[in-house]
Amino acid sequence: MMALCEIKDLTKSYPSFRLSDISFSLNAGRITGFIGRNGAGKTTTIKSMLGLAQPDCGEIRYFDLPFSGNEREIKQRIGFSTGAVNYYPKRKIKHIVAVTKTFYPNWDERAYKEYLELFSLDENKMPCELSEGMKVKCNLLLALSHKAEILILDEPTSGLDPFSRDELLTIFIELKNRGVAVLFSTHITSDIEKCADDILYIQNGKIVAHCSKEEFAANCCKDGETLEESILRMERDNRI
Amino acid sequence: MITLLKKEMKLTASPVSYLFILFGLLAFLPGYPILIGTFFLCLGLFQSFQSAREANDMLYTALLPVAKRDMVKGKYMFCIVIELCYVILTTVPVLVRMTVWSDAAVYRSNALMNANLVYLGFVFLMLGLFNLIFVGGFFKTGYQFARPFVAFIIVAFFVVGIGETLFHIPALSALNAFGFTHIGLQAGVWLTGTVAFTWLTAVSMCRAIKRFERIDL
Repeated sequence: MMALCEIKDLTKSYPSFRLSDISFSLNAGRITGFIGRNGAGKTTTIKSMLGLAQPDCGEIRYFDLPFSGNEREIKQRIGFSTGAVNYYPKRKIKHIVAVTKTFYPNWDERAYKEYLELFSLDENKMPCELSEGMKVKCNLLLALSHKAEILILDEPTSGLDPFSRDELLTIFIELKNRGVAVLFSTHITSDIEKCADDILYIQNGKIVAHCSKEEFAANCCKDGETLEESILRMERDNRI
Repeated sequence: MITLLKKEMKLTASPVSYLFILFGLLAFLPGYPILIGTFFLCLGLFQSFQSAREANDMLYTALLPVAKRDMVKGKYMFCIVIELCYVILTTVPVLVRMTVWSDAAVYRSNALMNANLVYLGFVFLMLGLFNLIFVGGFFKTGYQFARPFVAFIIVAFFVVGIGETLFHIPALSALNAFGFTHIGLQAGVWLTGTVAFTWLTAVSMCRAIKRFERIDL
């Protein structure tokens, strides 16, 4: 299986938190659910993967290219969203999109219009006029409209109603079937149960599990335990 | 880089940044400290940094397919374009006052700085200092702009003070030359200002890129 993204020994220290030796890979046509409690290091990992945070050490490669020095080319081929759109609150969505698409030679106007309709977004609205859930969709709209081969989404389902969450998870599955690698962070285990192929579980800045959902169930879930129950148990054990 | 510049101009810039280019025409006013017009231009650019921060522009730009260093270069490019527009506009009154109105009584009796090539040299110096102190200072953190702007205000008024004072010293009165008199000296100061602008901007941008690469957004 082809690894589109490989992270090796990523380390990032803050005065009160340390992300230690994070290693994993993202494969074409697989959905990886990145799970962990608040403050476990999900966002820091994702930010480090995208150069938004400067890692202390470690290797980040996309499409067999090191991220450092190839940022422009790599970012053309990945879609990234950090939850809700929280920039340019007073500009119309169509104005933000008009500027954004000039950066992507691969911008797919047809896909953009499709997602616009699917998400019921009005491009004449400004982000400040949208609910939190609609802001998430707006950010996803930008991430999905340029034929990204990897989608990295930080808590994309937070703030979405159950119907929108379901729609979004269905979109992930569609994208996976087209060969896109999807990494989404969440603390909602049902999202992972519904669509993830692989689980990346982080605890206190360390990856404690990176395997397929089936392997996770076989190795980490006790008899009759659901994914949520086993993760809650592992979190409780970790606190002791 | 052109795409980033267009993004800065269409999406990020405050309209005030464009409007304040018109302060270049203040150089027509007699009895007015004309270098203040350059300070107003810098105030207009400051407004763009302020509105960019309010709009969370850094995060938006970081999501685009650009390198982190490009984000810095984009902001510098925007400032340089606005600054050069201002210089071009303020050169109009300078040329008019140096040629057709060089003997106009209102300008001849002007106690303050004359609009000549020396003035343009000072304009370049002040813009270079803005790029060094304010823009460079902003990229130490990527979000704090009050302290670098206060530092720039202090330096800017010091430069205005020097510009308005030097020619009152008898040995330096040629700095306030009318028309094409002392053109060698005028051109020398203009050239020095241009070199200072280029050097200060380049140094500031190189430092800002290095600093910004280390910042966590």
